[in-house]
Amino acid sequence: MEQNTTPRIAVRVADIWKSYGGTPVLKGINIELLAGQVHALLGGNGAGKSTLMKTIAGLVDANQGTVEINEQTLGTASPSAAQSLGLYLVPQEAHILPNQSVLENICLGLKAKPRALRAEAEALLRDLAVSLDLDAQAATLEIADRQIVEIMRGLIRKASVLILDEPTSALTPHEANALFDRVRQLKAQGVGIFFISHKLREIREICSVISVLRDGAIVLSGPLSDYDDNQIVEAMTKTVQSAQPVARAETDIDFSTRDVVLEIDRFSGEGFRDISFNVRAGEIVGLAGVVGAGRSELAETLFGLRPARSGNLNLLGTPLTKRSPRDCVDAGLVYLPEDRQQNGLFLEASLAWNMSGYTMHRLGFFPKRKDETSAFDAFRQSLGIKCEGEGQQAGRLSGGNQQKVLLAKCLAADPRVLILDEPTRGVDVAARNDIYRLIRELAAKGLGVVLISSDFDEIEQLADRVVVMAHGLQCGALERDAVTVDAVAHLAFESGSHSHA
Amino acid sequence: MLDFFARNRVATLCAVTILAFLLIGAAAPGYLSLSTASVVMSNSLVLMSVALGTMLVILTRNIDVSSGSVLGLSAVVLGMMLNDGHSLGLAIAACLLTGAVAGLINGLLVTMLNVPSIIATLGTLGLFRGVMLILTGGNWIEELPLSLKALADNGAVGFSVLTVIVIASLIVVGLLVRQTRFGRYFYAVGDNREAARHLGIPVKLVQIAAFVAAGVLAAIAGMIFAAQIGFIPNQAGNGLELKAIAANVLGGVSLLGGSGTVPGIFVGVIFLTSIDSALVFLKIPAFWNDFIAGAVLLLVLLLDGRVRMAVDRAIRAKRYAVHHHNTPAPSAPTNSETMSKSRTQEAGE
Amino acid sequence: MKRYLLRWETALLAMLIAEFAIFGMINPRFLNLSNLLYSTSDFAQIGIVALPLTIVIIAGGIDVSFASAVGLCAIVFGIANFFGMPLPVSILASLAAGAAAGLFNATVIHVSRIQPLVVTLGSLYLFGGAATVLSGVVGASGYEGIGNFPDAFTSFAYFELGGLPAPFLVLLVEAVILFIVLHYSRFGRSVFMCGLSEHAARYSGLPIKTIQTITYVMTGVFAAIAGLVLSSYFGSARVDLGTATLLPAITAAVLGGASIYGGQGSIIGTLLATLVIGYLQQGLQMSGVPSQISSALSGALLVVAVALRHGSAVLADFVAARIMATNRKRAAS
Repeated sequence: MEQNTTPRIAVRVADIWKSYGGTPVLKGINIELLAGQVHALLGGNGAGKSTLMKTIAGLVDANQGTVEINEQTLGTASPSAAQSLGLYLVPQEAHILPNQSVLENICLGLKAKPRALRAEAEALLRDLAVSLDLDAQAATLEIADRQIVEIMRGLIRKASVLILDEPTSALTPHEANALFDRVRQLKAQGVGIFFISHKLREIREICSVISVLRDGAIVLSGPLSDYDDNQIVEAMTKTVQSAQPVARAETDIDFSTRDVVLEIDRFSGEGFRDISFNVRAGEIVGLAGVVGAGRSELAETLFGLRPARSGNLNLLGTPLTKRSPRDCVDAGLVYLPEDRQQNGLFLEASLAWNMSGYTMHRLGFFPKRKDETSAFDAFRQSLGIKCEGEGQQAGRLSGGNQQKVLLAKCLAADPRVLILDEPTRGVDVAARNDIYRLIRELAAKGLGVVLISSDFDEIEQLADRVVVMAHGLQCGALERDAVTVDAVAHLAFESGSHSHA
Repeated sequence: MLDFFARNRVATLCAVTILAFLLIGAAAPGYLSLSTASVVMSNSLVLMSVALGTMLVILTRNIDVSSGSVLGLSAVVLGMMLNDGHSLGLAIAACLLTGAVAGLINGLLVTMLNVPSIIATLGTLGLFRGVMLILTGGNWIEELPLSLKALADNGAVGFSVLTVIVIASLIVVGLLVRQTRFGRYFYAVGDNREAARHLGIPVKLVQIAAFVAAGVLAAIAGMIFAAQIGFIPNQAGNGLELKAIAANVLGGVSLLGGSGTVPGIFVGVIFLTSIDSALVFLKIPAFWNDFIAGAVLLLVLLLDGRVRMAVDRAIRAKRYAVHHHNTPAPSAPTNSETMSKSRTQEAGE
Repeated sequence: MKRYLLRWETALLAMLIAEFAIFGMINPRFLNLSNLLYSTSDFAQIGIVALPLTIVIIAGGIDVSFASAVGLCAIVFGIANFFGMPLPVSILASLAAGAAAGLFNATVIHVSRIQPLVVTLGSLYLFGGAATVLSGVVGASGYEGIGNFPDAFTSFAYFELGGLPAPFLVLLVEAVILFIVLHYSRFGRSVFMCGLSEHAARYSGLPIKTIQTITYVMTGVFAAIAGLVLSSYFGSARVDLGTATLLPAITAAVLGGASIYGGQGSIIGTLLATLVIGYLQQGLQMSGVPSQISSALSGALLVVAVALRHGSAVLADFVAARIMATNRKRAAS
């Protein structure tokens, strides 16, 4: 249909190259978006789709190549230049001005009269079928409402090109459907839309063209009807398929005779309630669920980083009542946080310093450099950390090696229970297999491991038992042989889609 | 209750100020009079103008500690021009221009060279003071013409021209930041710089504008200073930058940027200034002045911090309230969908 | 070798040598060794407070109240002496006042969770005010100060050891102690880690509050020492003794390489920067430049040095991007 009338080209990207600190992220991307077209963009984390979209929106300055929006070249990389050419990027995480009103957040920078803007915003709210107090302070908005604010920013600017970056990840099904109706309207009006999503069902519903990115290059592109789901998934995952994941260890250990090392009883806190489970020595217990299910909150509360409301925690049979991270470390419980860059590592500090994070208070007042070097070298060898030496800055390592350094930091504290929060997020395939092997070895040595993961394949491969959480509540548990991707996903999503009471 | 105080900082401070006035009035009869009000007002003009400019900078999440030196430098330019026989209008224009250039230097250092604002303005604090001293050769500027001093005289209605100028600047800035598009940018840039950039706001330009405006307002303060006391000593404006920041904090301007109001500045400055006059009336020796100002400032900060933390806790509790009874979803995801979802995630790692 | 050449401290040392060379050419008397050593007494107090301030800044805080804490602690000493306390007791009282001032700052910062700059700004007034009130109490009105110290005390500032005047000696001993503590001890490492990432420090279970509190208390104690040295040097304790150290001390810390965002800085850097600033003023004075101009030049020095450091980072990024683009073009063709 689009080919017949040869519609206007809304965005043309030619030979875009971008690298960060010597690592290429985009390798000569060419892509076109026609007016009135919804173009799906798929790719794993780190495939480069965010960088590509930010380049188009003027937020990132490419090293080479050109971006044309509505047949005009985007000269300087600035968001205002892109917006003046008619493009708006709705980011995955809403950029909110917390101290301003919702209306202000939506309309900031628009030239029309305040009264007219308010009327327009109210009309948009009706179209989207959402209720939102325009005069509320934006800091009080929930995540879904923040996303609505971002989408309204794009709509009220009457942009002729929109980029929607996983717009439904925080929305309820009802809100998502209203958004899709709106997208179809816009499409009919000739707006060109880049639609980034992981959900093939959504993409089938509203997109006509698809491009798949892998390792900074486009590996598949064309009309969506030309490809079936398998082809698309295969295009994205080729690297994963080629690297054989470590097979699941077939052991028949009966854990029920082992000591209970961690026991959680009706534990409640910020973002979760009434969680009960236990971990035995040598056992890997998966804590599965979708993002926002309350798993990290639970882990951070166990580790004393957030206040608990009620419930008991027993470590090695003794209750751990007074909890600070240091108390937990000394009692034998350590936590590897989810956000490696922000909460885990001291990016500008040396690897040796990073390794001493949990054990600083056990070092002498003047830490002996020789001892630390040999301790680090031992971990370097046993964990396979690729680095120049203990003096290197942690920020300069690759994701997988950074994660291994964090693992060394945890193990240096000589723990009995290890809580790993998304240990392979943003880690390349080879390093991921290394980490899987290490986790198994640790369990085999008798450590109790709690593995928090949104990657259900990872859960299936590693966990001896799974506890599934959704919306802050424990919604099921699976024993060894019942742990399959399907079963876990069923529990996590089915309970998860009941969201937003 | 807490919410009210957190949201209506200005009203709270107003109430406290009025209460304090009444108490002092009860203790020292004669304090509550129009003449006291007039003295407090004219004593507060210099600080008011500097604090107003400082507010604009703080709104954008920067800080300006050079304003005392800008005041001194521009006052000296004004005085020297006048003593060289230039007209009052020309001299005032040069004075304001000096302030604008000084502000521009601050703004360029902060935005173009990415120097943290506290460091940049700390440097220019010394730099501008030095330039001023070089200009005067270390001498005071005295014998300023009557035309300048006349600005400080109370007219028929009991207001001086200077009062009118300051009130006018308050109104102009107040309208600018509340009503105009560019004015709203000051809040946006300070509230969330990344979001502002994302929305296409000229983040650097807005910050530079704030510094330039602060420079001009400090220059106006310099003019007021010269007109009120009739000469310009070497240390003119010394330490005023800190007092201006204190007035901002008292007036509810968040040093994290993005929130603060002009009425808040007004009340904050009046509060600080009236401490002086109240001490006189209460026959407390003047050396208590700084101690009381510091104690009040810290007390307000402590209270403010505690109130804000309580409000944050309330918001957090609301956000983390776990939904218990959910209605069944219209459609459960199908098998193939969950499969593809997990595959996608796998691909992502 | 390269590792040492590229350090900021090396640049500071070069600056210092350049200063000596230039002022020596203008006025050969400047390079006279005894003059160089003797003149340190005029700026040693800047370094005495700038060194602990550097540690506060590295830990992610800032303190501007030390400038009035110097005066407050001097006045406390003066009053204790005024009421006939023995010299050691008076000195201890002064040091205790400094520690209390630091503890006060840290407590208010942690209780109110308001930025340290604002809190210490409030205590800058409070301490200054308290000092004025105290000196008013004993009748030493205004800025006259409290005098009549024992000879043992007043002669201290003029004591020399191996040609080194006592104030400079205090600074050197302090620098050695703090250098070891900051760069070799467990505590120093925690200071850096707190400043590098408060998030990661919290997740690692480091006692952030305790660490930061210690840094503020250290600043208070060294402010007291500076107050004592100055009281001894001038023979009287005055409220405004430390006022003039506020800007130069912060300048010394920042010029010495401390990042206002925390996590960066060094004792040697701050010590060298103190010498750079101090000798700049001395040299200008000896070259016949009025003192007001030298203050302008110190301000300019701070602006230029910081602009250079930040500007060079911006420039380096730009150059790296250009090189990469050219390399790719070459590879493509």
